[in-house]
Amino acid sequence: MIHLKKVNKRYSDNTYAARNMSLHITSGEFVSIVGQSGTGKTTLVKMLIAEERLSSGIIEIGNWDITNIKHSEIPVLRRQVGVVFQDYKLLPKKTVYENIAFALEVCGVKQGNIDMIVPQVLKVVGLEEKHDKFPQQLSGGQKQRVAIGRALVHRPKVLVADEPTGNLDTINAQEIIDLLLKINALGTTVLLVTHNKDIVNRLRKRVIAVDDGVIVSDQKTGKYII
Amino acid sequence: MLVSIYRTTKFAAQTFYRNLWLSVITIFILILTLFTVSLVATMNLLADRAISAVEEKIDVDIYFADNTSEENIIAAQMFLEDVPEVKNVRYVSKDEALEKFKDSHADNVDIQNALEELDENPLPASLIVQANELSDYEVIMQQFNNSEFDIFTEEKNFSDQQAVIDKLSAITTRVYQVGVAVSAVFIVISVVMMFNTIRLAIYAHREELAIMKLVGATNAFIRAPFILEGAFYAVLSSAIAMSLLWLVVLFTAPYVNDFFFGYNFNLDVFFYNNFLFIFSIQFLFSLILSVGSSMISIGRYLRV
Ligand SMILES: Nc1ncnc2c1ncn2[C@@H]1O[C@H](COP(=O)(O)OP(=O)(O)OP(=O)(O)O)[C@@H](O)[C@H]1O
Ligand SMILES: [Mg+2]
Repeated sequence: MIHLKKVNKRYSDNTYAARNMSLHITSGEFVSIVGQSGTGKTTLVKMLIAEERLSSGIIEIGNWDITNIKHSEIPVLRRQVGVVFQDYKLLPKKTVYENIAFALEVCGVKQGNIDMIVPQVLKVVGLEEKHDKFPQQLSGGQKQRVAIGRALVHRPKVLVADEPTGNLDTINAQEIIDLLLKINALGTTVLLVTHNKDIVNRLRKRVIAVDDGVIVSDQKTGKYII
Repeated sequence: MLVSIYRTTKFAAQTFYRNLWLSVITIFILILTLFTVSLVATMNLLADRAISAVEEKIDVDIYFADNTSEENIIAAQMFLEDVPEVKNVRYVSKDEALEKFKDSHADNVDIQNALEELDENPLPASLIVQANELSDYEVIMQQFNNSEFDIFTEEKNFSDQQAVIDKLSAITTRVYQVGVAVSAVFIVISVVMMFNTIRLAIYAHREELAIMKLVGATNAFIRAPFILEGAFYAVLSSAIAMSLLWLVVLFTAPYVNDFFFGYNFNLDVFFYNNFLFIFSIQFLFSLILSVGSSMISIGRYLRV
């Protein structure tokens, strides 16, 4: 499903965020990507949705080489790879419902379909009751759920969650992880970016550890080793 | 498709209202620009008409001595008609000249009485010559002076209005130059205004736009509202500028038409007959202006 071959990423100021990264993630997997702050995890996420271009190497998503993806094709890619951003990126002046509907509206989905999809998504992320609340009226975990819901509206093949438990207490964090596991069980490939040791250890799923842009370990049922 | 148009329109309307003050100023500047340009164009048209009106008035009257036979005058007329530069020649007989004179002084009793007392018609027969071009008169008169008919003439009266025309041309050229300069300034101002308005609209929506991009909105969808906004400015400003122009025409038409009395030119009729054409030109002009500057602004500030 996701294929990286010798990917290098150097930012214009000469910081390396990825060095010779190669990895293969198959369809339906649940993979955690761990590593300390500033090692290039978010950069990897950005490269997966062509928000950042690679300096060298190849990235394929579902046999589609997106290394030199055309501008006009980026929207197609972003509807296939749903991303939950580290900073949520919710619109403060829109309600929960509107924030999720927005992702469909701007992609030209018919109103009838929006009215059908959004309640379904709200149900999956467990926010039916909060649909008319604004982001500032929500807890961190709830905001995170809205972001996850929005990432799901296009029924992506891959869901990437960048540090979804960053600001949450253990119980809330576990709830988010459970939600991601549920989404994974429904058939979506899930990439979880985190530096939360407990969560990774409890998951008993594949763990890829990154340090300074280099993949230092890749274990089938791994533990957080750094 | 329809739903996209609806959402795009909603988005554009929102940006318009959120920056209402700026939107109003932008429209105002666009209107001023359109109005100035149309005013300059109108003045140019009027000046052209005025010059050709004066040119129409120019002719040469060749007066014949009283003893000249009508055959000779007709022969002279035929001679002149054969000169290629001549547009037309009209023969005014002694009787016709008298009739005209009487008519034009119908209310002057003294003149009427004086004419009654004369046995003979004191007015000469004449040929009124009009040339194709103003510059042709010299050639025509030269040819006539060298012809056999010159001996019959008593007087040649070249109603010289060249000086008037030159003066008129000079004034209108000057007005036109100033007009074009003022228009150019307004055009530049409105491009800058429009550019800036769209830039601010993009800035106000930067968060929304970034998220739109990240969730997979197409470039066209992201750009469309800003281009639509430009188009909206064009519609509104050209409609208002057109109304203003109409008002100006309404108020000045009586004076302008007076000036052109007898010249088959009517400002208001001209305006109504060409209404659609003028409006289309204005609309296209402001569309190019505003959509063009929106596009530049989008290209600069909306990296998609
Ligand atoms: N736009 C950029 N320009 C230059 N350098 C950048 C840019 N974005 C990130 N970097 C650098 O690249 C490196 C990796 O950054 P990245 O955001 O991928 O880290 P991260 O692993 O996601 O960290 P965290 O866990 O804190 O989110 C860092 O050293 C960062 O300073
Ligand atoms: Mg990060």
